Amino acid sequence: MRSELNDVRLIDGHLFRQLNEEETRTVETRMLVDNGFAENVAAQRTAHRLVRLYGQREDRRRLDAIYRLLLTDINFALRLKTIFT
Amino acid sequence: MTTQQQDPIVPLYRDSFPDFAAMVRRMGGTLEQAKDSFHDALLIYLEKQKAGTLQVHSTSKAYLLGTAKICWLRTRDNRSILSLPEGLECAEPEDREFQAGESGARENGLLDSLLRSGKKCMEVLKAFYYDHCSMQDIAGRFGFSGRRSAAVQKYKCLEKVREEIKKAEAYAQ
Repeated sequence: MRSELNDVRLIDGHLFRQLNEEETRTVETRMLVDNGFAENVAAQRTAHRLVRLYGQREDRRRLDAIYRLLLTDINFALRLKTIFT
Repeated sequence: MTTQQQDPIVPLYRDSFPDFAAMVRRMGGTLEQAKDSFHDALLIYLEKQKAGTLQVHSTSKAYLLGTAKICWLRTRDNRSILSLPEGLECAEPEDREFQAGESGARENGLLDSLLRSGKKCMEVLKAFYYDHCSMQDIAGRFGFSGRRSAAVQKYKCLEKVREEIKKAEAYAQ
């Protein structure tokens, strides 16, 4: 478990460009010689993209809810109506 | 839990959006377009704020209006908002055209599938990687016994998601 945890940390460090030169060389070498490791790097990169997509989706929901809330404020709604008429 | 009324973004939204909407109107845009670009800018603002990389030199409103204007101009000119100027590129929202395209549709589908099979895992990963919560916060929020347990759970979740992704990619090929 510990070595697997270390691999996750190492891959995260590689994806977020937080590794020193020696660690970077280690990751790059392992990606060349270890297909399983290379697949994990690719999948972890996609996982981060999906987590970000999820976060942005949730934030968009939050912003849409704020917009709908503010439209119930007469002054806010009237200002927008004045601008677009 | 924060209600919408208490959401700290509400005062900034209320104060900034009408000014931005007026700017978009002057440039021939619609209310819907103004809202979309404003939300793109707010996503950039929120992501940078969570990551601790937000650098506001004047006011939050000025930062937001400037960013929203860039988002609007790029959307209007059909240019990708993935190529925002330096300083904005780290937190740009996913390009809407990409999301609507084949790759975007596949990733959205994969995300929906992951949320159906393990929403809690996605929540844990979002808390750590997107909201930048500490392990202690995550432990408290999700009922883990401590930081170490939260770190192990995060690892297990990432492993599970990675395996789902590998399966989906093998299936797609």
